[in-house]
Amino acid sequence: MDLIHYVQQNWSDLEAQLLDQLLIVAVAMVAAGIVGVALGVMAARYDRVRGLTLGVASVAITLPSFALFTALAYYLGLGDLPVEIGLAIYALLPIVRNTVVGLRGVDPAVLDAALGMGMSAAQRLRRVQLPLALPLILAGFRQATVMVVAIATVGATVGANDLGQPILSGIRDSNSAEVFAGVIPATLLALFADRILGFAQTALARGASAGAAA
Amino acid sequence: MITFEKVTRRFGERVAVSALDLQIPAGEIVMLVGPSGCGKTTTLRMINRLVEPSEGRILIDDVDTASLQPEHLRRGIGYVIQQVGLFPHLTVAENVATVPRLLGWDGKRIEARVTELLDLVGLPPAEYARRHPSELSGGQRQRVGVARALGADPPILLMDEPFGAIDPVVRLRLQHELLRLQSVVRKTIVFVTHDIDEAVRLGDRVALFADGGHLMQYDTPAELLLHPRTGFVEEFLGDNLLLRRLALLPLRDVHLSRNGTRPNEEVAITASLRDALDATLRSKDGRVAVVDEADWVGTLDADAIREAAAAK
Repeated sequence: MDLIHYVQQNWSDLEAQLLDQLLIVAVAMVAAGIVGVALGVMAARYDRVRGLTLGVASVAITLPSFALFTALAYYLGLGDLPVEIGLAIYALLPIVRNTVVGLRGVDPAVLDAALGMGMSAAQRLRRVQLPLALPLILAGFRQATVMVVAIATVGATVGANDLGQPILSGIRDSNSAEVFAGVIPATLLALFADRILGFAQTALARGASAGAAA
Repeated sequence: MITFEKVTRRFGERVAVSALDLQIPAGEIVMLVGPSGCGKTTTLRMINRLVEPSEGRILIDDVDTASLQPEHLRRGIGYVIQQVGLFPHLTVAENVATVPRLLGWDGKRIEARVTELLDLVGLPPAEYARRHPSELSGGQRQRVGVARALGADPPILLMDEPFGAIDPVVRLRLQHELLRLQSVVRKTIVFVTHDIDEAVRLGDRVALFADGGHLMQYDTPAELLLHPRTGFVEEFLGDNLLLRRLALLPLRDVHLSRNGTRPNEEVAITASLRDALDATLRSKDGRVAVVDEADWVGTLDADAIREAAAAK
């Protein structure tokens, strides 16, 4: 009852916080997607880049989110920006790793044929390797998104006006209704993002083997 | 015409191809054959510069291939490999359209070409154009592989054991189809195989390699079988050498005479000594009549066939 009451009382704040959470996650994932795939392409081609990138991303993902956000806020100021950048850093590992695995998993015979037919390196990447790696890249993106939606709430500690705000103030005021008013939509958001990207993955897999059942 | 001039290729210490001189005439099927590791595939892959020579040069119609941009060179050379390597995310039609697209043909021209090619390799476009490679049998995939290689009508076709992974019955059919195809398209075909029977069946000429990329003999199939130049060649040709030779000797070239009564079993003069031997084995009295249309022009038996073979 307390929860319903709290939500009714603070609807406009919660709405803004939910939208901010969405925006932060969207910005972080677009950035991580672009940077992650680009790094993945380089890492798939060059052994040194691969070792370095995966190493750094593996370490980065283990950093406590509170510490990372605080450090970034120290340089960038309080607000959404340090959270967006921090989340993008967390999202890198699954995206880079899956891009590398996907690109390197392309059948060597397919690549030999592409080379033998006169495709340039860029054409092989764009027309053959990336389309074939796409299902795995998307799987990494999905995994990263779900993880990042949850971590985004911690961003409230450095001033992001997202769903972490009711959680923070609820803890401070020992008001469990307030905490749940942040936790429940954040969880639903994660589940929702997971489903949407899951559908995209299935549609893609169906496209890749179109008519195989026919 | 493809010309190898003193071409050597080393991989580290190992010599894969050794000072190779070879001329591949336009419009012919040249088979590169030899044991594993004899450099035949390396030789093939140097033609479209998937492998670069360590020394020497390769000319296509008197143009040094090293002077061309590799991508441009390759778009003018069809390439077929054993594992086919079709693009699994694209349809049959899109696979066949690969090189025309790279060359920037317009959509109408590409579509017409794809239809023509699928018909040529015996895959009706209405049924197959929109399928994906995963929906095809091994033999059908390789037909698409050949159609894709012919995409932009290149004058040269490189085939690296294209039928090696296909079961014997279908392989035989694809071999016949290749010969039928060649009678239409008249490409310069360089074909790698380790199967001497395939080499003799398909080749206008056969280049037989030994370990280390040494060319042992380069001849027509008949010359190779009838006059193997070294022990290595003879050994590689295998146990049924005599039978294979008989298949290459036409009855027209055999001195024939009629004797005794006309035997019941017949063989046409257009056939080979091997066919005559087969008829002899079938015949009740071991004798066979050679006929030109309806005329009885000679009699053969096992002794006569052996003498005819020895005379060659």
